[in-house]
Amino acid sequence: MTDETRRRLGLNRESFNAWKHDHRLALMIFGSIVMSLALVVVSMYLYSSSGAAQLDLSRPGYSSVRGRASSNDKIDTFPSSGTITKETIQEFEALYSRYADEATAIDAFGGDVLNNRELGIDGPQEP
Amino acid sequence: MKLVLVTSIVLGGLIFMPSVSAEDDLSEAHLNRIRTNCVAAKNSLNQLHANDALLRVNRGQMYEAISVKLMASMNSRIALNRLDGGEMVKITADYNRQLEEFRSSYQVYEQALSRLMRIDCAKKPAEFYSQVGSVRDLREEVNENVKLLHDGIKDYKAAFDKFSSEFKGEDK
Repeated sequence: MTDETRRRLGLNRESFNAWKHDHRLALMIFGSIVMSLALVVVSMYLYSSSGAAQLDLSRPGYSSVRGRASSNDKIDTFPSSGTITKETIQEFEALYSRYADEATAIDAFGGDVLNNRELGIDGPQEP
Repeated sequence: MKLVLVTSIVLGGLIFMPSVSAEDDLSEAHLNRIRTNCVAAKNSLNQLHANDALLRVNRGQMYEAISVKLMASMNSRIALNRLDGGEMVKITADYNRQLEEFRSSYQVYEQALSRLMRIDCAKKPAEFYSQVGSVRDLREEVNENVKLLHDGIKDYKAAFDKFSSEFKGEDK
């Protein structure tokens, strides 16, 4: 703000400083609110852009399935160090086959659940 | 002046064409059917949204655990024993790339499904119908990624079987 503008507005440096001094608490509260809003915007952006939002079953609308989420701990870890023997190979084979079969058993996101007929929005000529 | 006018008409036409054609493609009877079944369709979508989120969490954990707890551990052990596991390392790297694709394709699908659920199908049936088609395509893409992950899991098993038979042959 130039001196000319301040003069036109009827302000000078001393009166502005006095005004700031008198409203310190209000300015601090206002500054804190602005800063927290900015941080909320940044964190919400990170939450949605990182893919965390898609994994967050605590969101409203997921209450019906929340209890059915499985824990990562149920999968055993194969030790990454040690010698390789016929026994360790057999051990890995059994472990891998068990989880591989479990993982590939379900054709996830398959099926035609978004078919127009399923949703009841098919047209008269649609098969 | 004429050129500006023609360009504006063409650009305007291109911008508004998709919504106009979507409205034009559907008959009034079809639009009425969408309006009538709007609530039922929205309920199905809500259910699908919740079930897919659960599937993403459970499947995602399983796919990641296979990579981190099994594939990477075995590759590390093979390397520490100075044995040749090059093919398995390559398959693991491809699998991890595919896992990243799966994560991002699901994110795009979920965001599109959320947008679809926000459309008021009673007021905008044509837009709702068109968005269902887009979401269906995105879901198929996620399913394709899942199939590629399954292929990666099977490929690793085949490579491990080959390694295992070579190791047993050398060990005799």
